[in-house]
Amino acid sequence: MSALLEIEDLRVTFRTRYGEVTALDSVSLQVNAGETLGIVGESGCGKSITALSVMGLIPSPPGKIAGGSIRLNGEELIGVSPARMRALRGSDVAMIFQEPMTSLNPVFTVGDQIAEAIMLHQKVSPDQAFRDAVALLDRVGIPSPDRRARDYPHQLSGGMRQRVMIAMAVSCRPKVLIADEPTTALDVTVQAQIFDLLNEIQRDFGAAIMLITHDMGAISEMADRVAVMYAGRVIETATADDVLDLPQHPYARGLIDCIPTLGRADHALKEIPGVVPPLHLLGKGCAFADRCAYKFDRCDAEKPLLTDHGRHPVACHGAEEGRI
Amino acid sequence: MTTLLDVRDLTVRFALPKASMFGPRPHLEAVRQVSFSLDAGRALGIVGESGSGKTTTAMAAIRLTPASGGQVLFEGEDLLALDEEGMRQRRRDVQLIFQDPYSSLNPRARVVDIVREPMDLLEIGTPEERLARVKELFSLVGLRPDQLNLFPHQFSGGQRQRISIARALTTNPRLLVCDEPVSALDVAIQAQILNLLARLKAELGLSYLFISHDLGVVRHVCEDVAVMYLGKIVEMGPRDALFDAPQHPYTQALLSAAPSLSRRKSKGYVRPLKVSGDPPSPINPPAGCAFAERCPKAQAICRQTPPVLAPLAGAGGASGPVQQVACHFPGPAAEAA
Amino acid sequence: MSEPTSSEYVAESPAREAWRMYRRNLPAVAGAVILLAIVAATLYGSFFYAGDPFDIVWAPHEMPGVEPGFPLGTDYLGRDILAGLLTGGAPTLTVGLAAAAITMVIGVALGALAGYYGGWVDTLLMRVTEFFQVLPALLFAMVLVTLFSPSIWTIAAAIGVVSWPQTARLTRAEFLKIKELEYVTAARAIGARNKRIIWKVILPNAAAPLIVSATLTIGVAILFEAGLSFLGLGDPNQMSWGLMIGANREYILDAWWPVTFPGLAIFLTVFAVSLIGDGLNDAFNPKLRER
Repeated sequence: MSALLEIEDLRVTFRTRYGEVTALDSVSLQVNAGETLGIVGESGCGKSITALSVMGLIPSPPGKIAGGSIRLNGEELIGVSPARMRALRGSDVAMIFQEPMTSLNPVFTVGDQIAEAIMLHQKVSPDQAFRDAVALLDRVGIPSPDRRARDYPHQLSGGMRQRVMIAMAVSCRPKVLIADEPTTALDVTVQAQIFDLLNEIQRDFGAAIMLITHDMGAISEMADRVAVMYAGRVIETATADDVLDLPQHPYARGLIDCIPTLGRADHALKEIPGVVPPLHLLGKGCAFADRCAYKFDRCDAEKPLLTDHGRHPVACHGAEEGRI
Repeated sequence: MTTLLDVRDLTVRFALPKASMFGPRPHLEAVRQVSFSLDAGRALGIVGESGSGKTTTAMAAIRLTPASGGQVLFEGEDLLALDEEGMRQRRRDVQLIFQDPYSSLNPRARVVDIVREPMDLLEIGTPEERLARVKELFSLVGLRPDQLNLFPHQFSGGQRQRISIARALTTNPRLLVCDEPVSALDVAIQAQILNLLARLKAELGLSYLFISHDLGVVRHVCEDVAVMYLGKIVEMGPRDALFDAPQHPYTQALLSAAPSLSRRKSKGYVRPLKVSGDPPSPINPPAGCAFAERCPKAQAICRQTPPVLAPLAGAGGASGPVQQVACHFPGPAAEAA
Repeated sequence: MSEPTSSEYVAESPAREAWRMYRRNLPAVAGAVILLAIVAATLYGSFFYAGDPFDIVWAPHEMPGVEPGFPLGTDYLGRDILAGLLTGGAPTLTVGLAAAAITMVIGVALGALAGYYGGWVDTLLMRVTEFFQVLPALLFAMVLVTLFSPSIWTIAAAIGVVSWPQTARLTRAEFLKIKELEYVTAARAIGARNKRIIWKVILPNAAAPLIVSATLTIGVAILFEAGLSFLGLGDPNQMSWGLMIGANREYILDAWWPVTFPGLAIFLTVFAVSLIGDGLNDAFNPKLRER
């Protein structure tokens, strides 16, 4: 297995009214061919910014990639020319967004939109592109695809639109598919359909998937490996089983324990007290310290680094000193 | 145990714009003859996907959406038959919490005024007593007294939901309608609010009508659960019976679709029950069972005759409502053949 | 339960916060300064620079800057232009303010009722609004002013009557949007009556665009008054900037200054008022506040 996408020490800053804040700090991730990496965390933890960085879509200004490297198939993406980035986007790395309604252009049929995406990267005739689009719609499980291809986005349900987005994203067989909360706007039965579809697509196309979610349940069903993010940093990363069964970081443990499960539940839920601190108020210590039950002196003084203390990489002084 | 709320054949119809000037005005039946009852001190969860009519049902039950038929007996009194002023006075007993903590608080009012307003409107107590009550509520829901004079935008989502809860509790209501109260919150904050709601229910003896699409949340909060699909209740019963032995294929599909930590990709998990497609449109509901098109068990009769919600054979006894199901072929999920 | 540090949050009313935002907006502050200067000049200018603007005091068409007694020159009858500007400002501004007030009262009331109640109330009120909207505004105002004797009050009333439909539409749109929000449902759920919901809950939240629209209406009304005076429909016994332009327009090729100075005064006033309107719009927009 080789690392298809490699993010190393990525640092992204944003200019805000509080001055320059660091939205991503020393983020290192790897996605291997054919696997699904889940990135999980609460809103504001930097998971979407990580995805946008890979796509070269960080709004600049106010955002800026301040350091680090992103390599796709060995090719450095930071500092690459806009033309090259456009060529890679869609053909080598593609993204599925949260809101399928606003991500599709309302005045073109879905078939035309997929065909256009195909023609951007492949030299094919418009007719051939449209036929490919219909085939793709069929592949993502849209019934009577030749008729649906002539529909406009508003004529489709939310689940159908997300299928169209997926069809468009995989139209050029990207090596990496980034899915940013692809099912948040959908109902659970439709969410299950989309998850199953993503897994099938992965099997068929061999694409690596970077799944961004706030839902540990989705991680459990979808991910091979997991990176847990908090306040712009990766705080724990390992295989999904290791993170779910033996979470090392108190925050990762909290995220798992606070979910109301489908099993018997007559106990009080475990809470993580407080809220995520605003990025401009981060001190020199651990960003989670104020919410952490295991906090000790060192947590306020020094930022923990992501290192392996026996099980798998975790950024926690408590785990390092065996206090947890 | 006394029945607090008894909803009978509640129906809600919305008029749609006319297709032509002379044609009949089309209607959308968002809620179709829904009946359920809620005992004092218990929580009934209404589960369903978007368009199932779960929110409309609750809103019509407390007369914030006009019902077009049925009865809502609250402590034996039909709320739908009350005049405007009578209903206004009844409002102190039935309160609600909303889904979106950002749009449910008036951005131009200080939170102390937001929480006090129900007492001002219903003329409860002296101004000093009202302020004392607001302070009491603040500590009850976990807010600090020095936050009284702030504006809603100065609070986080979880704190706003606490303010919303304090406002709902101001008049000592008997029934609290919770409309997706945690679905807009981050998971870590969800747990805080769910625990607060559980504590308040126990301490104040509240009853909840709890609307949610999240089965885990419902299982955690509610003793009884009703599953809605396209404006009808398809299955209803005590929590454990419904979650452990779901009888309706739709309930089974919902349970198998909900992401769970126990289903691992690494263990080669494959969903046993797959439901395809989307719910049909409520404008032209199918003649038979609304779920028939997506149902793995559907037979000819399902497409012709709508099934009726009926007690499950052999269920009953114990406390609370018995398990009821509206399906021609109820029973445990078919094994993946 | 520890939530974000309260030191970050300072209790501040929306009005104060808006004022803080406004002060940071340089063009808006400049607009306010210009308008204050104009108002001060029209209110107190005659104390320092006496003279009846209708008196013929010098030779006609004296160039500005030539005769020290008449720094802005004289018009075609030999009347002092600076005196005209100073005394003509008050009626002009009064017409603007009064017309804007009438516009707001009618427009907000009808728009609020239509938007809140919907149904046949909405249909009826919107038909009325459309009726007034399709009337040619200037023509209709001219008819009103000629029917009643022209005074600044009839002129203000005429302008108000022709310009409220826009405000009504804006108010209605805001009400349609806000009445669907959950805090309005929350107000109903705690037993608030319609009257309270309309005026105490929805209207304050619709205030931002309405305030902006009011300032813009002031500008439009001043221009409207100038237009009516220009057409000879102003109050002939009351000096105003519009009247000065109207009276001198025939001689514009012989002497540019009798029309240019009142024109500049109108331009400056409308410009200042619209700067203020833009500033208020930004100050009341919470999204801009986050930056």
